[in-house]
Amino acid sequence: MSHADPAARSDSASSHSAEARVALGYEPSAGRGDGRIWILKGGSHRVAGLSDTRKARLLSAVLDLKPEPGARLVLLGLEVDGLGPAERTALRARVAFLPAGGGLLSNLNAWENIVLPLGFHTPGRLRGGAGEVSDLLGGLGADPHALLPKLPERMSAYEKKLAGYVRILLENPELVLVEDLGGGLDAAERAGAAGFFPVYQARCPGGTFVQLEGSPEA
Amino acid sequence: MIGVYREFEGCMRLMGHVLRRLRVLALPPVTESLTRQIYFTGASATAGIVLRGALLGTLIIAYVIDVLDANSALAVKILLWVVLREIGPLIAAVLVIQRSGTAVVTELALMQISGEVTSLRRMRIDPRDYLVVPRVVGVALSTAALTFYVQVIAVGGGMLLSAITIDASLGQLANDFFLLASPVDFAYSMIKSLLFGVAIAVICCYHGLHPPGVSINAVPKAAINAVTQSTLLVMLLNVIFAYLVFGQAFFGLVTAKI
Repeated sequence: MSHADPAARSDSASSHSAEARVALGYEPSAGRGDGRIWILKGGSHRVAGLSDTRKARLLSAVLDLKPEPGARLVLLGLEVDGLGPAERTALRARVAFLPAGGGLLSNLNAWENIVLPLGFHTPGRLRGGAGEVSDLLGGLGADPHALLPKLPERMSAYEKKLAGYVRILLENPELVLVEDLGGGLDAAERAGAAGFFPVYQARCPGGTFVQLEGSPEA
Repeated sequence: MIGVYREFEGCMRLMGHVLRRLRVLALPPVTESLTRQIYFTGASATAGIVLRGALLGTLIIAYVIDVLDANSALAVKILLWVVLREIGPLIAAVLVIQRSGTAVVTELALMQISGEVTSLRRMRIDPRDYLVVPRVVGVALSTAALTFYVQVIAVGGGMLLSAITIDASLGQLANDFFLLASPVDFAYSMIKSLLFGVAIAVICCYHGLHPPGVSINAVPKAAINAVTQSTLLVMLLNVIFAYLVFGQAFFGLVTAKI
């Protein structure tokens, strides 16, 4: 696992060939005082020490593909600034985000939450979705029969993350951003969460897994 | 004033989005949401709404017959003009506002405040497609269905009551009613109730997605705004519709020069 410190950079952005190998490159606007984030494609990475404000700015830039004025965003080898609407939509489909709380809808059970994006973006895959979801949950050490009928209010913090994670895995993203992976979990659950990346790697070889961690003082 | 204009513009935009994106109803999650909405607004509410509607319709007939000392012809006219055309759709609309309108605005405002609407955006799902389209269509269809139930029961109850209180047989009243009623009356009330349902759902969805704050206190404020505005709009639509279709409004007090 590599560690991308906000104040440091791990590669040069000077050449186009270098950009092509970048999974997530973010250079905030001058005067913000934030460090650059420069993560190469593949493997698991951790961006630590993010304040809430900085994390929100980064997530807004990456997930809405709208960096602040003066900021620069390179995503999966593409400079976001010069992309047209269709290219942006296609690029955004290659990126997934797991919020700290799992990002589940409270009026849907785990199964409905997991297949919701599938139902919108690739409804044809819903038919074989049950087996795929069970396999993924089994691979992550969870019992699908116990978890899938539960509403979020009946789920633990770990189960919410698990359901949210399976939901994004179904879309086979090339870049996964995970917010505060170990937050709110006990030791056994943290050990379970440590198994998230290997499952992703097995499903999407060459994909990039980035953990976004807050800072204690933030 | 600017705030009112913005809300009106926002509701119109939301309405435009619903009309443009009706095809999303074919997507499985949206179909599921539509089914739930129809079940909640149209099916599970039926018993309570129809009973209350029928009671109100029958009471109106009872009062009018008593006060006006009505005969058979007048009782039938009242049933047709008041209950079938006006009271049926209005009662259904008011009860839909009370029950489903408040539920929709509260649910959406809570989803907005708790970040669930943002979660949908981050899943690349337009919240309007998933949350608004099935609710507007579901509430509109359910309002029309409830109107039909209310009309049948209120007119039936009114005829029974009229037969008891005035010197006329139930058969004679029914015969007079079907001679006087036309398909236009039925189409008028159905189209009107569909419009009522659309107006209620759009206003409630708009206020649910735009609560006046980010704290939990914003939820009841959004609900109050939605209920007040949708009630006013239903009344306004009723007057406009009556004037356009029959050239009269307020039960004939305002008459168009045709």
